[in-house]
Amino acid sequence: MNTPDAVPLAAPTEPGGRAHDNRPRFEALALPHLTHLYKLAVRLTGAAPDAEDLVHETYMKGLAAFPGLREPERIRPWMSRILARLVLDRYRSGPREVAVGDLAELDRFSLYDLVWDEDPLPYSDDLHHDFLAQFPDDEVRRALLALPETYRVPLLLLYVEDLSYRELAETLGCPMGTIMSRLHRGRKILERELWACAKRRGLVRSDDR
Amino acid sequence: MSALSCAQAMQQFFAYLDRALAGEALEDLETHLDACLACCEKLAFSRRLDGFVKAKLPDSPLPADLEGRIRDALARVEP
Repeated sequence: MNTPDAVPLAAPTEPGGRAHDNRPRFEALALPHLTHLYKLAVRLTGAAPDAEDLVHETYMKGLAAFPGLREPERIRPWMSRILARLVLDRYRSGPREVAVGDLAELDRFSLYDLVWDEDPLPYSDDLHHDFLAQFPDDEVRRALLALPETYRVPLLLLYVEDLSYRELAETLGCPMGTIMSRLHRGRKILERELWACAKRRGLVRSDDR
Repeated sequence: MSALSCAQAMQQFFAYLDRALAGEALEDLETHLDACLACCEKLAFSRRLDGFVKAKLPDSPLPADLEGRIRDALARVEP
């Protein structure tokens, strides 16, 4: 059983009880959050069939771990945490991910500066806004999906669940400093992917970076 | 005058946007921003980019039969 470290696991059965006695209560508490969890799964995986499998497995793991849940009113973040951990376990190092490359160089990458230097829209009154407006939705989603999972999962949990760094650290089982660095670098990789996309689409002429 | 360089300030932008800075680190960054228009503009772009990406996140309606399939699977769990 692969359950998030931070989920307190009690014995699956109460003395004299049976595991499936928990099922009606679990369903009553957890199923109202199905739409939210499915949306999160779609955003984390980028594909509806993957999201269905992921949500399905999340509920199965949730039922198994439910006796250990100490704060039933917080079942939604608890289920989100199970789902996020499954994504990290299942999709680690997927084939669509881009290479992270040199970290010091990545930390210094600035889409703002590149757009400013290149000035691809010389008649624009709001250059950076108009630059972003050139990207179709699917290109932005593709760039997001190209992020390695270790960067994409915390970033999406921040965007979708609005978790604090402390909550992200608990959810993903790593120190807050690691979360801070992954959120910084995840956004920098995203900026770099958008710049690469702009070059592919001929929005900018630069061929040096 | 802020003790932070622009490069140091930019390393803190995302934590600032995520409301994860506090105490001296927050004061140092705000002092730098008070004196540096270029960093203010870069920070505004980072904020705008966050909003832009959030607005592009995919959405998909819940499959009509998913809740039923999950209920069925939960009901089959052996005690």
